[in-house]
Amino acid sequence: MAQLNRKSTLRNLTVNDAMRRQIIQLDQAKTIDLGINVLIKYKVNALLTVDSQGKPVGVVSKTDVMGAYYAGLPVESPLEYIMVSPPLFCRLGDSLETALEQMRTSGVYRLYVTGNESGDLVGALAYPDIVGLLYQYCHQCEYSHLKTSRQSNQDDSVRRFNVREVMTPSVKSIGTGETLNTVMEILSAFRFGAMLVTDENGFPRGVISKTDLALNYKHGVDPGVAAHTVMSGPVSTCDVDSILEEAVKKMIMVDIHRLFVHEGETSNIVGVLSLTDAARVRSGSCYACVSSRIKVEDHD
Amino acid sequence: MKTTAADIMTTDFSTLLPETPVIDAIRMFQESFSKQGRRLFGMIVSDEDQHLVGMLSMYDILLYLRPKHIHVWGSMEDLEIAGVIDAAGSRIKSILVGDIMTPDVVTVGPNANLMMVLDTMIKKHVRRLPVVEEQRVIGIVYISDLFSQLLERISD
Repeated sequence: MAQLNRKSTLRNLTVNDAMRRQIIQLDQAKTIDLGINVLIKYKVNALLTVDSQGKPVGVVSKTDVMGAYYAGLPVESPLEYIMVSPPLFCRLGDSLETALEQMRTSGVYRLYVTGNESGDLVGALAYPDIVGLLYQYCHQCEYSHLKTSRQSNQDDSVRRFNVREVMTPSVKSIGTGETLNTVMEILSAFRFGAMLVTDENGFPRGVISKTDLALNYKHGVDPGVAAHTVMSGPVSTCDVDSILEEAVKKMIMVDIHRLFVHEGETSNIVGVLSLTDAARVRSGSCYACVSSRIKVEDHD
Repeated sequence: MKTTAADIMTTDFSTLLPETPVIDAIRMFQESFSKQGRRLFGMIVSDEDQHLVGMLSMYDILLYLRPKHIHVWGSMEDLEIAGVIDAAGSRIKSILVGDIMTPDVVTVGPNANLMMVLDTMIKKHVRRLPVVEEQRVIGIVYISDLFSQLLERISD
């Protein structure tokens, strides 16, 4: 990790500051069906699996659930068939930077947190929670866009991150008539979290996320059905030139993990911004604390 | 004297199927007062053979409505709560009862005595217990009915 400056936004933060204390876990012998119920109800992207003694043995993410759906595994199969082992851990007192680096090098989206001495499980750390924490700092900051925009007589001279700088600029989309199997193949090949569905004129009609796929799997929907029958719409978008802080706010407030980014016409989709992308910026939402930004290569 | 779960259970109850949309279940919660004279905060979910498969409670619905990142909202004053509630309401439209119900339900048999029922409710933090006989739900004991029954006896 190349650190540009020692004065870092994240430097003084530990895993303890950003983690969630509620650990969503299930016995590995429980069904995938129940696993989906828990993922949906607690709005998490993955759950921890434990053995009959309560010892953590694996992780089941929405990606693993999608794999099971694609493979035609019965939804009553036990979670142990699809879990990824072992779960990865960090400690409560580890710096957030260290934990992020561990997530990047291991290619995982979450770490489970153990107490510094006890080794007991005390929480879970995931990208969206880090964005949430950073957003909280930005919101309270004296340079906050929301604060300065209220004082309209003052010029806003702070250079802010805009969506264009942070978004993923390539978006894969499929036609409304393509099947869920095709959606899953593309999501899996490109490691995307959601797929844009467009009509014959290229107009965005809806989105199919891994959450939608997990629900359809649970509902017994044939993966050969056309995308338009299960997509959710309308597509949540933001403008490519909008301020990152506003986009993050929108996602945090209404529980959406990603916004499709349009330029000019709202139907002209040029990118996608997810909370994971925002977490990779690793600083607040403006250049006021750019000196604190930690440069990290893209996590795929 | 009424001494068992079967003595105080309600046999007039609505059930949901796991395939019922949550939005329809919400309507049933709203209509329960006019139909059963009781405000419902939890409903039994059973399959077509009346086998118990779960319970959908007010808490399950509230858990789903709760914004995921609310812990970072803190002292923010610029929230547009009406919009947030509408977004949560719109999201719930694609959710079925089976997606968010609690599948592991504590039950009692019809012959369980009132003190055992009371103990179970306290220990498991539940306010309603399905009464199950031969895998079929035959009634529900509500904590309020249990309470009234005990008070009646004590104040006699």
